Amino acid sequence: MSKLSNIWVFSDIASRLPEMIAAGVALGEKVSTFVIGTEADINAAFSYGATHVYYLGDKDSQKITEDYSHTMAQTISAAAENTLMLLAPTKRGKALASKLGVQLQAGVVNDVIEISIEDGIRAKHMAYGGLAIAEEKINSPVAIITLSSGAYEVQAADTARTGEAVSVAFVEPASTIKCVERRAKQGESVNLGKAKRVVGVGNGIGSQENLQVAAELSALMGAELGCSRPIAETEKWMERERYIGVSGVMLKPEIYFALGISGQIQHMVGALGSQTIFAVNKDKNAPIFQYVDYGIVGDVNKIMPALISALKA
Amino acid sequence: MKIITCYKLVPEEQDITVAADGSLDTNKAAPKINPFDLCAVEAGVQLKSLIEGCSITAMSVGGKALENPKARKDILSRGPDDLTVVIDEKFEQLLPHQTARVLMAAAQKSGFDLIICGDGSGDLYAQQVGLQLGELLGVANINAVSKIISAEPGKLTVERALDNEVEVLEITLPAVISVSADINEPSIPSMKTILAAAKKPVTSLSATELELTEFPALVELVSVIAPEQKARQKIVIEGDDEQQIAQFAEHLRNALN
Repeated sequence: MSKLSNIWVFSDIASRLPEMIAAGVALGEKVSTFVIGTEADINAAFSYGATHVYYLGDKDSQKITEDYSHTMAQTISAAAENTLMLLAPTKRGKALASKLGVQLQAGVVNDVIEISIEDGIRAKHMAYGGLAIAEEKINSPVAIITLSSGAYEVQAADTARTGEAVSVAFVEPASTIKCVERRAKQGESVNLGKAKRVVGVGNGIGSQENLQVAAELSALMGAELGCSRPIAETEKWMERERYIGVSGVMLKPEIYFALGISGQIQHMVGALGSQTIFAVNKDKNAPIFQYVDYGIVGDVNKIMPALISALKA
Repeated sequence: MKIITCYKLVPEEQDITVAADGSLDTNKAAPKINPFDLCAVEAGVQLKSLIEGCSITAMSVGGKALENPKARKDILSRGPDDLTVVIDEKFEQLLPHQTARVLMAAAQKSGFDLIICGDGSGDLYAQQVGLQLGELLGVANINAVSKIISAEPGKLTVERALDNEVEVLEITLPAVISVSADINEPSIPSMKTILAAAKKPVTSLSATELELTEFPALVELVSVIAPEQKARQKIVIEGDDEQQIAQFAEHLRNALN
């Protein structure tokens, strides 16, 4: 794969920056990183492999990060080269991406899982809630991408690394959005997407009482409990944050255990990232059995209690 | 206050099938209003109930699916006062930067104080249209709006739930906001609103009327293909007698350890 001479990088969340820089190092000769923050933040950018830092100043509570779009656009366009800007796939990263897209007349692709630079810049991302991967080709001289986690390996920080730092003057945005308050977000109650083990419950569970049994089994496995869409949306037995599949949660656990789930593709796309899949279903023709590592055809009412005693033993 | 709420028709994802070659078949999937946009419409309706002299125009850009009377009634039954659709054969598969340009032309023609979009759509989930539209119109614009706190002439106060923090923002109107799916629970249209929807005015515009000539293809869609499946063991035990369950439990225990 050919490399670009320069890649621009920005992350509004410090923890996402190393990965963005790693992608920059893989795809470009020079990695120019925008930094808002302190000298420590500049040094951190260098330590992860940035060759150039464009420093936008201290964090300012009156400004929102999106207010820096004009400053970034002007800096990028002054460089007058075919280039790629990589942003963290956060809400702010996406807001900046679209704003820069218009300001720089650049093509934008969000939540990219794979980038290739062969014949122009091509980017892949999930579409139709995970049913498919869309590939898009960016034709504009500047390409803008928000990059999903996991696409590039982060380099270990090396504090000996330095580079060139340049201060950039703030360009006042035309729009008028004033930040009047900022506060930390309350902790998420459940994050199935990060769970190592997940038990998914479907219509085959039969009754709401049986959910207790499934919860007991799930607890014994050290797993989080999730469900199929009908359990959350039709039965409303579980919260929407727990439904797995198209327009729901995408899992990446070591173990996924499907209880009474038929295995329609719309559910399975959320579970196919699992390392090992187990399933219990009474219908041996259920599509779920095409996706399992280990399955058993039988009655959940009988199998769940038996598994609970087996795991307790 | 003149509010525009934008929406897109997308195929019902539960009815999309994946062909052997990995392509998606949407022929059996009826078009429906993108679920994220239902939240945008609902946000407009709630805002209208707070402000005197407020009107809502629903707006969409696309191909012939927008001619469907049922789809038109569906959007109008959710509260907008009227509907503007921009229909053209070449708008069948628009990418977000193009959709934003068409909406810009339509919004400039009708005038507006506030445009509300969903954060993304269930098909390509590009999450760009509202932001690019606002940027093209040269007005204040922001995504991820999770609550509308208050509205007064010329100013909107909103909450924005980000990845690690919450912001309260004062936005000067005119503006474009994109709302997240957790902003509200869209209400289900009643028989009364469905019947009333048939009487609401619809304006249909063409590309020519909006003087939209060629617009840039900054991005092109190369392919949409289902990902390849990982190889699985596919060890399936048929039957649930004691011994068979024990065998299955053994596999589970091995995986857990």
